[in-house]
Amino acid sequence: MVYTKKHPALLIIGAIFLAVAVVVDQGMLDGILSVIDKKGKYAGEEIGMGYAFGILGLVIGAWHMWGSHKEGSADYYLSSVAGAMFILVIAMGVRWFGAPAVAVFSKSLGPVMGDKYLHKVLGLNYVVLGIIAGIIVVNVFRVPEWAENGVRLSRLGLKTGVILLGTLYSLAELQQLGKLSVVLVGFFVLGSVGLVLWMGARRNIPNSMGGVLSAGMGVCGVSATVASAPVVQAKSVEIAYTIGTILLWGVGMMFLFPIVGNILDLGYIQFGAWAGTGILNSAQVAGAALAYQPDGIETLKVAEIFNITRVLFLPIIVLWLALWYVRREETAEEKASINVGKVIFEKFPVFVLGFILMFALSSTGIFSPAQHYKGKYFDNNIKASKLLKDNQIAELTAEAGKVVKVDRKEALARLIENRKVMSREDDAVLRGLVNSRVLTKKANKVLKHAHKVTRKTAKKVKKFRQWITLLFAFGLTGLGMQITLSSMKQAGGQPLIIGGVVGTLKAVLSLIVIVLFVRETI
Amino acid sequence: MPNDSQDIDLQEEAGAKFHRGSTLSIFGSDRNEDFIALLFALIVALGVYITVP
Repeated sequence: MVYTKKHPALLIIGAIFLAVAVVVDQGMLDGILSVIDKKGKYAGEEIGMGYAFGILGLVIGAWHMWGSHKEGSADYYLSSVAGAMFILVIAMGVRWFGAPAVAVFSKSLGPVMGDKYLHKVLGLNYVVLGIIAGIIVVNVFRVPEWAENGVRLSRLGLKTGVILLGTLYSLAELQQLGKLSVVLVGFFVLGSVGLVLWMGARRNIPNSMGGVLSAGMGVCGVSATVASAPVVQAKSVEIAYTIGTILLWGVGMMFLFPIVGNILDLGYIQFGAWAGTGILNSAQVAGAALAYQPDGIETLKVAEIFNITRVLFLPIIVLWLALWYVRREETAEEKASINVGKVIFEKFPVFVLGFILMFALSSTGIFSPAQHYKGKYFDNNIKASKLLKDNQIAELTAEAGKVVKVDRKEALARLIENRKVMSREDDAVLRGLVNSRVLTKKANKVLKHAHKVTRKTAKKVKKFRQWITLLFAFGLTGLGMQITLSSMKQAGGQPLIIGGVVGTLKAVLSLIVIVLFVRETI
Repeated sequence: MPNDSQDIDLQEEAGAKFHRGSTLSIFGSDRNEDFIALLFALIVALGVYITVP
């Protein structure tokens, strides 16, 4: 069977990419971009990817159109380029123009929660909008025949993205985690996974749906859902349902958590621990933490620590689900002869091992100094020209008396004495001082400058982030294209009910544990 | 009894029959896809390591 279709679509997509690159490069879109992309955040991508994908599309598109095709692997795999480029043109359209336009519209409505805008609260970023765009394409227009083979590459994109995710973390950063955060997160992650699996079995949802939902509700977000999907043989619609349930749950909790926290008068550490345990999506955890403490970063920092801790449990959960799924699917006789080692060897996804491999490489410091977290690291070996000037020191000295908290007072004194931030701990304390607005705007500007010159971004990790973004945008838009309305009806409302019950239980129980055991230290 | 997600898709998502792969993947099995993803990620990592200062 010959798979390549003699169709001009790939040529047209190549021409679209090339046209975007040329018009952005020549400044012909400056009018529109000055509204939706004021800082020129995407200009580099639009030009670089536009030229690269444009040329690729034109060359392979010409071969599709006018080349001769014989049955075989070259025909089979190269035929997928058309569909892959079809996904990319939609995903990049959403990322470069759709999502920024939604953000501009949302900002025009004004903040809806503290200083948060509607699109942030609802999580309407390029990831979610990409899935929605994919769902619209498949349900309104259907995936064209020439693109079908390429759409089946979307899961490959997601798996590669999860592997590269390992480069964003380092062992040195994880070693700083407190024992309590590991115990607390571990208990609730494992507990939630177990509860979803148990409820799923009682309510007769398919094992694949229960498995993927348990990982999503237990660990967090897209990565865990994608990582666990192959071991429980989850379908596209089940992955999308899980992501939808997590986001929907997070939106409600982002509003509710700060209200409950204020009623119970929780400390910042307590609230950070609770939000980090009870809310699943990272962005929504940050949103709730900032809503609770807009004038400092203590809550946010604790919530972030809990987020990193969850990553630790990902391989364990995948292993558990692999064993659970095999046991659930086997017949009674087969169950008796299950060889655990064999199941692990056969079912454990190699790409999760890839994630661990990248994490290990990242921890050696080959991509960035070993103590980095998501590519950012503290380094106060700065040039003399970047040290604080006399007038800036005078500004801080004049206002030092306003600072009451001892740690802030000491960190500020060290900054004044050395003209630069002296440690990572001081950096965190001084950021808290800026957010508390104790000092004047002018003095805060000096502190922000001092922070900026010692905060470095690893270029390699920045590049990895761009790759991860591209792969996730590609994978999730393609995933959306596999979700038909009939498959959504088939999945029904059970996952939302189970997700809601488990999420509520987790929030209530974690609140009780935190009120009883967590004080102002982690 | 299906042992492979490829089979499940063929059975449950009616109307989709593939000469190779499944509705979810163009590759013959999950493991093949994993190895391709790993290879691709390693190529990206090597590329970034070499080209980005």
